[in-house]
Amino acid sequence: MNELELKQLWQTTNKKLEENLAMNVKLADDLTRLKVHGIIGSMKPIKLFTIFIGFLWVVIGAGYLGGVFANTYQEANKFFLYSATVQVVLTAIALGIYIFQLSLIYQVENTDPILQTQKKLAQLKVSTLWAARIMFLQIPVWTTFWWNESMLSDWNVLQLGVTASVTVAAIILSIWLFLNIKYENRHKKWFHLIFSGNEWSPLMKSIDLLDQIKDYEPDGNVKI
Amino acid sequence: MMEKEEQKNFFQEIINQHKGILFKVARLYCRDEEDRQDLLQEMMIQIWQSLHKYNDQYKISTWLYRISLNVAISYFRKSSKREQRYTPLTEKTAQIALEDKSENENQLLLLEQFISELKEIDKALMILYLEDKSHTEIAGILGMSVSNVGTKIGRIKEKLKSRFSQLT
Repeated sequence: MNELELKQLWQTTNKKLEENLAMNVKLADDLTRLKVHGIIGSMKPIKLFTIFIGFLWVVIGAGYLGGVFANTYQEANKFFLYSATVQVVLTAIALGIYIFQLSLIYQVENTDPILQTQKKLAQLKVSTLWAARIMFLQIPVWTTFWWNESMLSDWNVLQLGVTASVTVAAIILSIWLFLNIKYENRHKKWFHLIFSGNEWSPLMKSIDLLDQIKDYEPDGNVKI
Repeated sequence: MMEKEEQKNFFQEIINQHKGILFKVARLYCRDEEDRQDLLQEMMIQIWQSLHKYNDQYKISTWLYRISLNVAISYFRKSSKREQRYTPLTEKTAQIALEDKSENENQLLLLEQFISELKEIDKALMILYLEDKSHTEIAGILGMSVSNVGTKIGRIKEKLKSRFSQLT
């Protein structure tokens, strides 16, 4: 099939359109009454719910821990107190990054050229990896929050050794994930394993789109 | 800045005159009828919401292609269900699908199917090429160099030809 044949064939779509397409005039009229949505109005309920729960967790956690630091610090279990503080601080940072990136995504103009717009959107989406990296940093504190002072004096070497090994392994894993979860490792098997499932599908598609855009750019340079 | 009534009339006028652009883009990015209606609606919402920023230094069709293609590509990225429903056309399924259709209809169906199988950016480029846009205009809509447009179109055309030849 040559160029002319391809284009002639495509032109028959226009004839089909005239026969079949009756764009809903009422819909167009309804849209003219539509108010411009803000970022909150344009977000999916599940995203709003996730942000709400995260926000609630941080506020309640910070309130409780603030109270302990201010009033009952001497009696408090320091392992729990510092583990919980690290967890709440990291969650707050990840939540802040996530909300900031969502607001940047919302501000991207759909009227700009396709490659620029899609590159910006995909880069912002891929940079939500930062939120995931920070959340993984909190793995070790989930192994230490239940520790207490009497445990250190009462437990034998084996018990302490096993407990400490689990924590050391968690520290190594979290640092490794923090350093290695990045766009450059997108084709690695472990990366696909972590980011499999529907909730990560937009992220993986953004990565795929960045690869396509890279192919369109003269220098093939995509920075995240 | 346009007055509200003026904006409303302008919106209805461009939708009536250029609805074909939206329909064709939606048709190639979304094979499922129900999803396609959602996509068309999203495109119209984005056009309405961007209308006050319309700059007449651009042709209205250029502006509409930018919005509709950007919305279609973003819509595809957000979706998790659509991709699962979509299955590439094999020689066998093509034969079944094409029975009882005229030769021309068959060819058009195949062309649409092959374009749907392309990657998102390649698909945008092919739509603009088939719509007979000049290389300069395509470069302006996509945001790439004119020389790169020619190279890319050549490669995609080869892909399409090879897909057609596999079925004949």
